[in-house]
Amino acid sequence: MMKLKFLKSVCVFGAVLALPAYAHHSFAMFDFNNTVTFKGTVKEFRWTNPHVVLLVEGSPKPGVAAEVWSMELTSPGNLTRGGWSRRSFKPGDHIQLEFNPLRDGKHGGAFRKATLLDTGQVLSSNLRDAEKPGLK
Amino acid sequence: MRCPIRECLIAISFVLAVGGVAAAAGAQDPVINPPPQAGDWAALAKLPDWSGVWTPSMSDQDARIKTDPIPWRSAAAAQIAKLIAAEEAGNPKGLFVDCLPESMPSWMLITHNALEFLFTPGRVTILGESDGNRLRRIYTDGRPHPADPDPTFHGHSIGHWEGQTLVVDTVGILPETYIAFSEAVGLPNNGDMHIVERIHLAGPDTLRDDLEITAPHVLTRTWKTSRILFRQRARKYDIVEGVCLQGSYSEGADADGNAAFVPATQTEGGNILPSGK
Repeated sequence: MMKLKFLKSVCVFGAVLALPAYAHHSFAMFDFNNTVTFKGTVKEFRWTNPHVVLLVEGSPKPGVAAEVWSMELTSPGNLTRGGWSRRSFKPGDHIQLEFNPLRDGKHGGAFRKATLLDTGQVLSSNLRDAEKPGLK
Repeated sequence: MRCPIRECLIAISFVLAVGGVAAAAGAQDPVINPPPQAGDWAALAKLPDWSGVWTPSMSDQDARIKTDPIPWRSAAAAQIAKLIAAEEAGNPKGLFVDCLPESMPSWMLITHNALEFLFTPGRVTILGESDGNRLRRIYTDGRPHPADPDPTFHGHSIGHWEGQTLVVDTVGILPETYIAFSEAVGLPNNGDMHIVERIHLAGPDTLRDDLEITAPHVLTRTWKTSRILFRQRARKYDIVEGVCLQGSYSEGADADGNAAFVPATQTEGGNILPSGK
């Protein structure tokens, strides 16, 4: 029984790995000429390399059912330098989200900015704002 | 069967002598890395100050695409045109989606991540974030390249100082590593690549890497370009661990309740879905 379980888990593991792994990808899949904003609830904040991921449940259009949107950011190291931490968001946080959507229309995007609605704190991310020496 | 002592000693001496000659003829003395002396450590103080954390100028990386075009061979140029079209269409192939190292020379050309330099006697070490924590060992102890180096992602690097400039010569790079100008556009070097770098301060807190990349299978001539990095001293800029593949996993538990990495759920396009979905 144990052996069967083990084999099953190996098969499941293999099947998942067979999916394309877009871990360290180009950001060209996002439409940087288009910005989307909506209010939503944080479902998960993945503080991982190479891209931090923020999962937010909400709807960009009134009357459309809320769904989970996947936001991609830069790395934990780069975000730490921008004043972020792995505790910047937690599940349940209500936020105003701003992002550049995926060009293919799927529910994902490149994170631009979020405002924590309970505190008013604004978190943004743009590496090109930090292209100079001696940053504080 | 017992032999007289004198004859036994003669026989033993003969065996030892023959064995010693054979050993001397068949083996080379191992090359020893000598322990650094006080003077070796003191000499480091005379080198330029490259301490701190260095962040790349991505705007400079972008600008160099236009100012220092890569001299691709015609067959390579045709492939690059397709990759550029795919990137502009928002459907890029992605060169580093497998999380293998950006490698040489692309680490120097397109990284978005910080790096740092360590000076120790006989060596300069470059450490960086991402792809499982990047590392280049540049030997400055006068050694030559190996005659037949095992190809690696970052190659075999030897360096020497010309005044305040570190000159680095790198060979032995895997043919699969990319010559890239973005995370979506670049081609494998296809072997026999040779890179010469001249790394120097271009200002109090600006570091410049002048690169000469020779890759005869994909380039028509040596490609000369450069990259800029900015020094940061605020502690929040310290290099942190960056394991690329970690993002492909979620923190979960195994069947026994131990903390374990489990494959993250991704859409076909690679976007991460909530854990357990």
